[in-house]
Amino acid sequence: MGLASLALFVSGMWLMVLGVAAFLVIFVAPIDVTLFGGQGSAANVSLVQAAIAIVAVIALVFGLSRMKRIYLQKKLKQ
Amino acid sequence: MLDNTSFVIYGVIVSAISFLLIYFLTPFAIKSLVAKKRVVPDAHKPDKPSVPRPAGPVMIVGLAAAEIVLYFLTMNNAVLAILLTTIIAFLVGYVDDKRVLPGWFKPVALLGAAIPLVILGAHATNLNLVFGSAFIPLLYVPLIFVIIPITGNTVNSIDVLNGVASRFVIIASIPLMASIAIFGNVEVFLAALPLFFGTLALYKYHKFPSKIFPGDSGTLLLGAMYGALAIAGSSEIIGVIALLPAVMNSFLFLASVKRIVEHRQVKTRPVVLLEDYRLAASTEKLAPATLVRLILADGPLGEKEIGHKIFRLAVFTALLAFASIAIQFAILRL
Repeated sequence: MGLASLALFVSGMWLMVLGVAAFLVIFVAPIDVTLFGGQGSAANVSLVQAAIAIVAVIALVFGLSRMKRIYLQKKLKQ
Repeated sequence: MLDNTSFVIYGVIVSAISFLLIYFLTPFAIKSLVAKKRVVPDAHKPDKPSVPRPAGPVMIVGLAAAEIVLYFLTMNNAVLAILLTTIIAFLVGYVDDKRVLPGWFKPVALLGAAIPLVILGAHATNLNLVFGSAFIPLLYVPLIFVIIPITGNTVNSIDVLNGVASRFVIIASIPLMASIAIFGNVEVFLAALPLFFGTLALYKYHKFPSKIFPGDSGTLLLGAMYGALAIAGSSEIIGVIALLPAVMNSFLFLASVKRIVEHRQVKTRPVVLLEDYRLAASTEKLAPATLVRLILADGPLGEKEIGHKIFRLAVFTALLAFASIAIQFAILRL
């Protein structure tokens, strides 16, 4: 067994990081066009992008917390 | 833009400066620190031998000399910004080496290390996100002030056993350099070489059994330089992926104690030292979760064996970082 479960945990983190990166590229990066029709000011666009990015990062941290709890319950109670 | 000959010559020069200076100056630093009684006990060994600390000053000499030479060869602002960020992070760590400071000091003070990257415009306006990039000219600046304290403290928090932090940085910097070479620029790639070769030289003295500890000055400068290279080299996400086990360690610790504190301030230790000098995971409910505690959940291990497991995990994560580079490269070619 050894490091296999930790490697799996790290792989889960990797997939979550890639998932957030994909979300930011697909939904947040083009928000100037999709939400403001290309007419938004840089400050407004950045504000909305920041808000969405913060929510995405909070979701990532929440997901990691869940993963950590499940992993610790499984490992440290063995 | 550098021609191929200049690129190779500059690369050899900066690599040799950082490696040779740290390799040959560290024994003198060890003698000097021992003479000044600047030693700490190596807690996980029989009789707790005294080990000199910190190696930060000798590391900054080697790394700064290489970066200064590279700056005068290329006159590139990003190189200067990386150099200044590294020096500021070293100073923050050196203050922490000299005095016992509260847990919030390092992350807050490291905000200052991010300033040269912003002022000298070492960052791009696009955040490289593997599947594409996001044009965020305004958002990128606050992001820099998040990245540098995180990378600095992340490398600092993995410095728990002999040789772990230096070996970890060596492994993580390989995919980072590959990513900078592909998606960044030549000058930043050259600026990354001293980190790799300088840390390689340090590892000779830091590996198990350690002859010197890097201290906060050593680990913070390594982490901040790594973060600065990731930013200036348009390799932010690849840099984070290569650091994942260390990020996981910081995250587990913070999620357990729920505040920013120094490890020494935590009352319940995550691991316990057995009579045979092996380490075991603490069974205390209040003990913080750390990477080492998770590794020890399978059973007690010696310090060297734990270091080897962390090394294997770092190699695995470096492979994930290379997979991410391959994904990004494939998407770019579409």
